[in-house]
Amino acid sequence: MKYDVVVVGSGPAGSVTARFAAESGANVLIIERRQEVGVPVLCGEGISKKVDDFKVLEGRRWIANNMEGARIFSPDGAMVKLAADMAGDETGYVLYRDIFDQELARGAIRAGAELMLNTCAVDVLKENGKVNGVKAKQFGEEFDIEADIIVGADGVESKIGRWAGMKTTLKPYDLETCVQYTLSNVEFDKEYCDFYLGKKIAPGGYVWVFPKGKDIANVGIGILASLSEPGMPLKLLDKFIDSHPELKKGEPLRFLAGAVPVAEPIESVRDNLLLVGDAARQVDPITGGGLMASIEAGEIAGETIGKAVGEQRFDKKMLSPYEEKLENTVYKKLKRNYVVKEIVLGMEDKTLNMLADSLKDYKFDELSTLSLVKALVLKHPSLLIKLKPLMKLSKM
Amino acid sequence: MGKPKALVDKGKCLACGGCISVCPQDAITMCSSKAIVSKENCIDCGICIQTCPVGAISNEVY
Ligand SMILES: Cc1cc2nc3c(=O)[nH]c(=O)nc-3n(C[C@H](O)[C@H](O)[C@H](O)COP(=O)(O)OP(=O)(O)OC[C@H]3O[C@@H](n4cnc5c(N)ncnc54)[C@H](O)[C@@H]3O)c2cc1C
Ligand code: SF4
Ligand code: SF4
Repeated sequence: MKYDVVVVGSGPAGSVTARFAAESGANVLIIERRQEVGVPVLCGEGISKKVDDFKVLEGRRWIANNMEGARIFSPDGAMVKLAADMAGDETGYVLYRDIFDQELARGAIRAGAELMLNTCAVDVLKENGKVNGVKAKQFGEEFDIEADIIVGADGVESKIGRWAGMKTTLKPYDLETCVQYTLSNVEFDKEYCDFYLGKKIAPGGYVWVFPKGKDIANVGIGILASLSEPGMPLKLLDKFIDSHPELKKGEPLRFLAGAVPVAEPIESVRDNLLLVGDAARQVDPITGGGLMASIEAGEIAGETIGKAVGEQRFDKKMLSPYEEKLENTVYKKLKRNYVVKEIVLGMEDKTLNMLADSLKDYKFDELSTLSLVKALVLKHPSLLIKLKPLMKLSKM
Repeated sequence: MGKPKALVDKGKCLACGGCISVCPQDAITMCSSKAIVSKENCIDCGICIQTCPVGAISNEVY
């Protein structure tokens, strides 16, 4: 079996990469170990409306709910609201992540990519120190898939990169360990995604309540693995729900465990090899959101691959424009937010309370982590010293 | 007596992949939606045990 490109993983990163590579003429195979794309869902399912700019999704079937904004609750309950200018304007969506992933995969298939389900990559093939394919397993049988370019879009596990000799292992300090219920029969404001902070609530992370509809919400927790204990996310989430009567009366329709890298992006290009999405740690270290970065990086990866296949050159130099373009766009934001993550992790609950209190009535011009950081600096010039490296990064 | 090694309780594992991403020995793989520890490679550092959100990993003496 020989293809121009083999993509491992049919998540957003893999499907978008495959789509743009196939559109520029490459012969692409996606392999996915699951038996259904996007299932089971391992996600809070929140995304900014900016996803519409990418034109990779058709129709509206993947949207469960339109959001007006987000609310952040400090440990003592003070609320900071980031909302659209006008009530009724939408700023983001809560997704049906399974349909979302399937729509992205459909886009890749329509562009000409092939998709093989129930097929797990178990190793990379190598020749003269360069990867030239993957060893795959389907229904107990192993076989080789040769390719000029291998794309590791295999999510948080990032085994493709590891097998190829890259350092993809995460430090517990750079991983959020999560559980989430989808609760039915709950009460809340359907227009807002809520975030709850505090060392007692979620050490090094937060609890989220993302409404999927009128009386149904994703209620989840992420804890920094270095601050966690075995089973702690589940215990603390149950405790949180117990102390919120409006959630306590709900019944779960779904329960999931998840892992989110909150690291700085890592090396993502070698000869004949690219990493995209969670595999390359392309996740916002403050929010843990990775869908948008996966789509953005997937588009650049796919176009870079298309050029490489056109010129029949697959060395690192040919593929490097992928990383260079990311450095000038997505990575600036991710690196800046990694610095913010470290500052926030060092804050005591009482500092968070003080900051939230000072932003209670602040009007945000935009719903983004950047506008939050800008507001903090305005209100607390002393923070500027700590944030200096970060401001430099964002000005570039 | 053998050395202690990490062991995944298959009944509890929800296949989040967190343990795999932090294992410094690349000793864990996902097999049919369950994490499995390779005894040969595990050095019992305990990182995966601490990471598991549902407490599905313990260390056992083989
Ligand atoms: C609990 C939780 C909540 C989250 N909430 C949000 C949110 O609200 N908003 C947001 O933007 N992001 C959120 N994220 C992050 C987001 O889910 C990820 O950033 C996103 O899924 C990354 O996409 P990906 O394509 O890189 O990886 P994935 O979506 O993880 O896809 C990887 C794919 O590769 C397959 N695969 C892995 N290994 C192999 C192999 N060896 N062979 C074959 N196939 C393989 C997997 O089965 C999977 O289908 C959340 C994550 C978690 C865990
Ligand atoms: S961390 Fe726990 S739930 Fe997640 S894959 Fe490992 S054993 Fe399974
Ligand atoms: S105990 Fe350490 S070496 Fe063993 S499987 Fe867990 S993380 Fe890997």
